[in-house]
Amino acid sequence: MAKARRSRRTLTTLVVLVLISVSVITLDESGRAGSLVSGMRSVARDVFSPVRSGVNGIIDPIGHFFAGAVHYGSLQQENQKLQLEIGQLRTQLATSKWSQEQTAQLQRLLALEKLPAVKALPPVLAQVTAYGPSNFTDTVTINKGRNTGVDVGDPVMGSNGLVGRVVEASHSTATVELITDGKSRVGVEYGPKLNQFATVAGQGPGRDLSVQLVSTNTAIHSGEPLVTDGLAGTLFPAGLPVATVSAVRSVTGAADKQVTAEPMADLSGLSYLMVLQWSGSP
Amino acid sequence: MTLRVAIRLLVLTAVVLLVQWTIGLDVRIAGAHPDFLVLLPIAAGMAAGPSEAAIVGFVAGMAADLLVPTPFGLSALAWCLVGFGVGAVTGSLTRQVWWLRPGVALAASAVSVMLYAVLGAVLGQGQFLHLDLLAVVLMVSVPNALLAAPATALVRRALADAETRGRLSSVAPARRW
Repeated sequence: MAKARRSRRTLTTLVVLVLISVSVITLDESGRAGSLVSGMRSVARDVFSPVRSGVNGIIDPIGHFFAGAVHYGSLQQENQKLQLEIGQLRTQLATSKWSQEQTAQLQRLLALEKLPAVKALPPVLAQVTAYGPSNFTDTVTINKGRNTGVDVGDPVMGSNGLVGRVVEASHSTATVELITDGKSRVGVEYGPKLNQFATVAGQGPGRDLSVQLVSTNTAIHSGEPLVTDGLAGTLFPAGLPVATVSAVRSVTGAADKQVTAEPMADLSGLSYLMVLQWSGSP
Repeated sequence: MTLRVAIRLLVLTAVVLLVQWTIGLDVRIAGAHPDFLVLLPIAAGMAAGPSEAAIVGFVAGMAADLLVPTPFGLSALAWCLVGFGVGAVTGSLTRQVWWLRPGVALAASAVSVMLYAVLGAVLGQGQFLHLDLLAVVLMVSVPNALLAAPATALVRRALADAETRGRLSSVAPARRW
C-alpha cells in the first residue's frame, strides 16, 4: 500500500515536472515569454560572468604555480636544466607567435573598417571570452554587451569576413551565433555583376558551409567570393564578405547544384571581433 | 524535500555550473566539450531514486538553460526524464558490481545527449541531429563515467539530511549495494 502510494507520488512528480518544462518551452518558442526569458538570461549572464572571470583569475595562477613547482622539483641535473631552458625559450617563441597572430588578427579586423559596407556602421571592438556553452550550438561569448551599444541582430565581423550575428545580449556580454551554426542562414550574392543570389547555411562546427538555391544553369566556380545581399528583410546589411566557394558539384536530375564554401574569417581561433551596430534596415 | 536540502541542491548546481563554465568549456575535442551538469540527475538517480533525480534534473536543466542559447526548458525536460529513468532502472537492481555506477553514467549520459537532440529536433531544431553526435556523446559520457562515483557520493550527501536520511536510505538503491 505504502509502496503503491510512493510509486504514484513519484510518477506525479515526473508528470508535473514534464508539464512545467513543456509549458516553459512552448511559451518561449511562441514568443509569449520571450522578453521574460531573455531578461532572465540577461540577468543570469550578468551575475555569472564576473563570478566566472573571478574564478578563472584564481584558477589560472594556481595552475601556473603547481606547474612551476612540478618543473622545479624535476630539475636535479644540469641536462634537465638545459632542457627546461630550451622549453622556456620554445614557450617564449610560441607566446611571441601567439601575440603576433593576435596582433595580425586585430590588424586584419581593423582593415575591414575600410570596406564601404562596414564604414557606414558604427563598430564595437570586442574580445571572445568563451567558446559555445552548448554542444548543440556553435556560438562564442564576447565581452561587450548592451552597455556599449551591442544588441541582438548586430552582425559580427572577424578578420577577413563575417563571423555571425548577436543572438543574445546582456548588460556586459553578448552571445554570437557563428555562420557555421546549423541554424545560421545568410543571404548572399555572387557573380561578376553580383546579380545571382543564394543562401549560405551552416552545417556545424568545423564543417564547410552549404550554399543553397544555386540552380544548375547558374555559373558558379570554386574561389568565387560570396557577399551578403542585403535584400529587404534579411538579417545582414549588404556587402559584407562571407565565404569563398570551395567545391561545386552538379547532380544529374537535381534542380540545384551542390555547392560548399569556406568562411572567409578563420573561425577556429577567434580572439577579437568587430560588432557592427545595425538597426536592421538595409 | 526540505528547505535545507533544496538550498544544498541549488548550491551544488551553482558550483557544478561554475566548474562547467570555467573548466568544462575549455576541454574541447572535435568541437565537443564535457557536460558535468547532466551528471547531477544521473547521480541523484543512483543515490536517491527517481523522484529526487527528476527534481534534480529539472533544477540543473533550468540553470543550464539560463546560459545557453537553445530553447528554454529543453535541458530541464531532457534531464528530468533521464534522472527519472536512471532512478527507476537502478532502483530495480540489487547486485553490487564496481562498474555499475560508471556504466550507468556512461549509458545515461549518451541517452541524455540523444534525447536532447531528438527533443530539440521535435521542437524545430532539426540541425541538432546533423551535428557530430558521436563526438558529443563520447565527450559527455566518458568524463561523466569517470566522475560517477564521487558525484554520486556528493549528491547523496546533498540530498540527505537528518529528517530525510532514514527515508532516503529506504529507497536509495546505492545504499542497498
